[in-house]
Formats: sequence, C-alpha cells, structure tokens
Amino acid sequence: MTIEKQTTVVIPVDLLLDEVKKMHDAKYRLVQVGCGQFKDQIEINYSFERDLVFSNLRITIDKETQVPSVTDLYHAAFVYENEIHDLFGIGFFGISLDYQGTFIRTKDKHPFYNTINKEDSLRPEEEGS
Amino acid sequence: MGREIVIPFGPQHPVLPEPIHLDLVLEDEMVKEAIPSIGYIHRGLEKLVEKRDFKNYVYIAERICGICSFIHSVSYCQGIENIMEITIPDRAAYLRVIWSEYSRLHSHLLWLGLFADAMGFENLFMTAWRLREHMLNDMEETTGGRVIQGSCKVGGVRCDISNDKLASMSAGLTAIEPELSEMAGVFLEDETIDMRTRGVGVLSKDSAWDLGAVGPVARGSGIALDARMTGYGAYEHLDFSPVVISGGDCYARCRVRVEELFTSLDLIGQAITMMPDGDIEVPVRGNPSGEFFSRTEQPRGEVVHYIRGNGTKNLLRHRVRTPTTANIPGLVQMLAGCELANVPVIVLSIDPCIGCAER
Amino acid sequence: MDLMHILYGVSFILFGPLIGGIIVGLDRKLTARMQGRVGPPVLQPFYDIGKLFQKERIAVIYSENFWVIAYLIFIVATGMIFFAGGDLLLVIFALTLAHVFLIIGAFSSSSPYAHVGAQRELIQLMAIEPMVILTAVGMYQVTGSFFVIDILAYGGLLIFVLPGVFVGFLYVLTFKLRKSPFDLATSHHAHQELVKGLTTEFAGPTLGIYELAHLYETVMLLGFVYLFFGANPLTGIIAVILVYIIEIFVDNATTRITWQPALISAWIVTIVLGGLNLIGLYLL
Repeated sequence: MTIEKQTTVVIPVDLLLDEVKKMHDAKYRLVQVGCGQFKDQIEINYSFERDLVFSNLRITIDKETQVPSVTDLYHAAFVYENEIHDLFGIGFFGISLDYQGTFIRTKDKHPFYNTINKEDSLRPEEEGS
Repeated sequence: MGREIVIPFGPQHPVLPEPIHLDLVLEDEMVKEAIPSIGYIHRGLEKLVEKRDFKNYVYIAERICGICSFIHSVSYCQGIENIMEITIPDRAAYLRVIWSEYSRLHSHLLWLGLFADAMGFENLFMTAWRLREHMLNDMEETTGGRVIQGSCKVGGVRCDISNDKLASMSAGLTAIEPELSEMAGVFLEDETIDMRTRGVGVLSKDSAWDLGAVGPVARGSGIALDARMTGYGAYEHLDFSPVVISGGDCYARCRVRVEELFTSLDLIGQAITMMPDGDIEVPVRGNPSGEFFSRTEQPRGEVVHYIRGNGTKNLLRHRVRTPTTANIPGLVQMLAGCELANVPVIVLSIDPCIGCAER
Repeated sequence: MDLMHILYGVSFILFGPLIGGIIVGLDRKLTARMQGRVGPPVLQPFYDIGKLFQKERIAVIYSENFWVIAYLIFIVATGMIFFAGGDLLLVIFALTLAHVFLIIGAFSSSSPYAHVGAQRELIQLMAIEPMVILTAVGMYQVTGSFFVIDILAYGGLLIFVLPGVFVGFLYVLTFKLRKSPFDLATSHHAHQELVKGLTTEFAGPTLGIYELAHLYETVMLLGFVYLFFGANPLTGIIAVILVYIIEIFVDNATTRITWQPALISAWIVTIVLGGLNLIGLYLL
C-alpha cells in the first residue's frame, strides 16, 4: 500500500496572497481550505493539487487576525472562507461572494471556536473506558 | 414581458432530495442569477471527534452521508492508518475496494433514477432503482446493512466475505450486466433525454479546473481527475483508468456516471479474481500522533479527510471536504443563464449531497 | 336536436366523471404495471376526489375558487353540447374559455410556481388551438356540417379521409391529457421544477373541483377521438382504447420537454399533417 507524499509549507499571513498566486500561476487546483483550532492558535490549510502531487500552504494566526481572501484567484474559495467565518469566527476581507455570516446558519455563533477545553472532553460514564 | 420573478428553489422542493436553497432570479423563464445557501442540516459531526475514541469515530465518519457512507469510513480509517503507519492485510484492502465499488454502483444508480425523475421520465426512474436493489441486497448479505455498512474499521475490515459468496456475487453481477446495458442505452440514446441534457449547463474544462470541480463534474468537462488514480488501498494493483468525457454539459456528466457503472463492475470483477487469502485485520495499538490529508474517490468525487492527532485517544481535528462542497461553485456558474425548466436537471447533474456538504 | 340527444347531454353530467374516473384509474394501474409497480386500486381517483372534498376550504386569495368553479361549469357545458350533438365550433371555443378561467385562477394566486405554470398553460393553448380548429374544419369539409349529430350520421369512417388530421389531433391530445412529454404546465405527479405548476395553490375542495373537471375533459376529448370512427360504434370504442394506451405508452417512454420544442413541434405537426390533409381533401 502506498502512502501519498504530502508537503506542508508554513508561511506568514502577509505572504499568503503571493504564495497562492504562485500556485495559481503554476496551474494548481485548489482542493480545499480547512481550518482548525489548536490551543489558542488557528491554523488554516490551503491544499493544492496538480498531477497527483498534493501540497499545502499553512498559515498560523490568532482569532483577531484578518485574513486576505483568495477568492480573486480561486473563486471557489468563497465556499470555504464563508464556512470558516461562520464556524470559527475568523474574518476574511475581500471575499467575492460574502454571505456575512449566513452561509451556514447555526444556533450558536462560531460553534467550532474555543469549545474544545471549555467543558470536560468526556462524559462521566465514558471516563473509565 | 421581461418582469423579474424570484423563485425560491428549495430547501423543500419535490425535485430536491436534500435541502439546499437557491434563490433563482428569473426573467420570463430565463435564470439570470442563482444564489445558493446551505445550513439547514449542519450537525457539527467534525466536532464530535474531540469527544469520541478515534476507533469508535469510524461509525460517525460513516454517517456523514447516507449514500456514499462506506467510502467515508474508508477515508477516515486510511488517514488513521497512515498516521500510525499500520499496513492493513491485502485481503482487507481488496474487500474495501469491493464494498467501495458497490457503493459507487448503488449511488450512481440512485442518481440516474433521480435524474430521470427530474426530467419527468418516471419509468426510467423505477428501472434504475429496481436495479439498485440488487446492489443493496449484496451489501446487506455481506455486511448486514443496506446503506450504512459499518464493516470498515481502523486496521482492516470487520467482516470477511467467503470465497463462495464472492463467486456468487461475481455471477450475480455478470447476470445483471445486460440489464444495466439496456438501461444505459436509454440514458445515452433516448431522443427526449438528449433534448433535455445536451448543451445544458455547460462547464468548460478551464472553468471546471479553476472552480475546483471534482468527480463526474470534472470528468464530464474533460479533466482526468480521479482520486483512484493515486492508487490508494488496493487500487494500485487493479487495472483502472478514469472515464473522461469532453463536453461539460449535463449529457456528458450523465454519460460519465453511466460508463462508471461498468468500470465499477470491472473493478469488482478484478478484485474478486485477485482476492488474496489471509487475515482481514491487524491489531491496533497506541494512539495516532501526526496529521494526514486522506484522499479517496467517492461517487460524487474526491473527498478529503484531514486528520490530526496528538497521541491521545481523542483526535484534535477532523475536517472533511466533501465533493459537493467543491462542486457548488461550478453549479452556480452552470445555472447562470439557463432556463427554469432546466434547473432541476442542472442541479441534479452535480449529484448534490447536502448532508455531506454540511456534515 | 331531439329529446334523445338532450338526454345524452344531461346524462354526461353524471356519467362523465364516472367513466372518466374509471379511465384514469385504469391509466394509473397500467402505468404502474409498465413501471413494475403494483399500482393503486382502479377506483383510486374517486377516493382522491372524495377526500379532497372533505377537506377544509383554505385559500390565500379566495377569488381563485370562483375561477376554478367557472372552469368546471364551462367544461361541463362544453361536454353537454358535445354529447348532445351540438356545434363543434361552439364546443372548441367554450373549451378554450374554460381554460382561460383556469389560467386566471392560477394567476390570481400569489405563488410564483402557479404564475410560471399559468404562463406555460397559455403557451400550450397557443400550441394546440390551431390543430383543434383544423380538426373541426376537416370534419366539416368531409361531412358538410359542424354538428356532432351530422358528423356521426356520415356513412364512412372519417379516419380514412382525415388520417393527417387524426394524427395531428393525437399529438395535441397529449398536451390536453397532461402527459409526458407535454406535461409542462402541471403534471399528475409533483416531481417537476414548478412543484405542481398551475395547480400549486389549489387545495382541498378547489383542487377537487379541478380534478373533477379534468375527468370531464378527458371523457370529452376521447369523444373527439370517437368521432373519427363514429360510423361503427365497436371500431370507435376499440380505437379510443388503443389511442389511450398509446398515450400511456408515450407518457412512460419520454421525458418532459421544454416549452420551445413543444410549441414549435405542435405547430409543425399542425401545418404539415393537418394542413396537407385539408389541402388534399380540397383538391380531390
């Protein structure tokens, strides 16, 4: 069984647009934009693919950082950026199709942010297992 | 004339199997603009990973979707196995291929039925779904579940298929192939279907690539994009080439799916012939630490499971990018400038699975 | 017109929906069998309509009830004129008027689905009217009268002299029966882009009245088919059954097409088959 080779490059936020532009010019396809919260840090991964080569750009930010939108280069990113905004509360500026927080309607605002350690990660009856 | 009407399309609309909402701005019967919005069935499944044992989470991963369920569990398990450097037994890898392709067969047949129904062709709808029963019965006999199989686990598969059963499955598929061919003929050659699908909802090769389309949408626009080409699981040992059709219209996307039925039959046949003997699972010890983007091919296209663990039994993050999410930008482009009567056909041609898209 | 024929006309009020309901019931059964399903009981249309009348009368805009009732009255009147042996031209124009009432009813509601459905129904009227009128003209050319009584009294089978008109009439009959490929404005099942199109906003008794009118209309349209074979009652009934089976078959073997090809093809059929047939008659 082969394990796919995957590269991840960590870049600062201000270089994001330049790096994404390089990928766009090299005819890479935007696979996904994904977000995760690890302690107080927010990580956003931009995954690209060309000729079965899979590579990622990663930015690490805190919640207040405004992230430039890549929708001018990859229009399809509007789905992911609106989703990240609605779930994590990260601000993007310059989204070509900005839903202003109505893309995914949730009962609580930004349900994925800061809920990890707030409550006990296990319910009492599961603790022993 | 020339008056603008806004037709709310969905989330509850008879032609839509799942809740997506489109505001269609109409001028007479011409759609000027379509604005999608989702969020009706967001369940936050990704968040559950922080509270569940990573081995038990397989069942939640599988329940992301009710149609392409098995392949979600394969992707998740494959991600964990790659992080923990577990090599699963060959027999398990081949069994995963067989169930994956059965999922694809039943999903494509389901879609073909819905597609025919969207065009008002009830008879073909019934035919497709009748043939789908065969696939579901085989799944039920081998795993116990018709759409949610639960047979995949970290480190292998949960149940084996005996060699006798494999032989009879193979015979059953050979027997049903002529019926599938007959149905395929109607989809590809019927005059009225042609009128409704050809030249409708065109997505050019360049815009499909730019908009990140995946699966049959990309392949229908002439892009050879199929995660099975990466040779995950046992696909690297099988003779496989993706179905690529140029054209980019609804007909091309329909044709891709129709021809993939036969690719899947062929792959199942190969997997059954080459099925090695041996164990079906290896023991899993320890907890995953690391990250991986696990990519597999679903009936609707490439799915990406991002998995990250820190050495505890609860993962830190599990993110799924489902094919429907990737195809929504393409859908918006297809809808602009189309006719109202073609909206159901175009919406269905990306095979939307909103349950997947929102998780 | 003697008393006998007036009796025929009056009996249509009672027997129209009875026969229509059985025809539609058999239609649903046969369709189901063609699709490999069991299908509902033959009497299902009666159960459906009966249940609709038991429901509460709810409408957003009440004027639609008035228009739908007008639709029913005019359809029944049309059928009575037809079965009493009256003037075909009167029948055709009264039928059109009935449909105009239906369209106004759909427009008077505020649903965008009903509006688009009503627009399509108007287009359908445009598509089928020329052929229906040509049918009457053709019958007049052969028999010298527009009266159903006289057409029936004509000795020979009209089908032999009016084959083109007959085929053309079958073509537009698919529109009138609301079957694929021409079930644009509303269809028998809700799986289309307009939900239920024209009838989306009709509910309860209003929808029941619409369904009842559709039964009357089905019977009357099949009466038209019968006229082509009127000289021999047995041939006529067999022909009507065959025609209906063909309609079901076509319904099951086609998708729903968009309005442009529907309109254009209906007119081409009218001009080519209907027109040539009449010109041929004129020259002979």
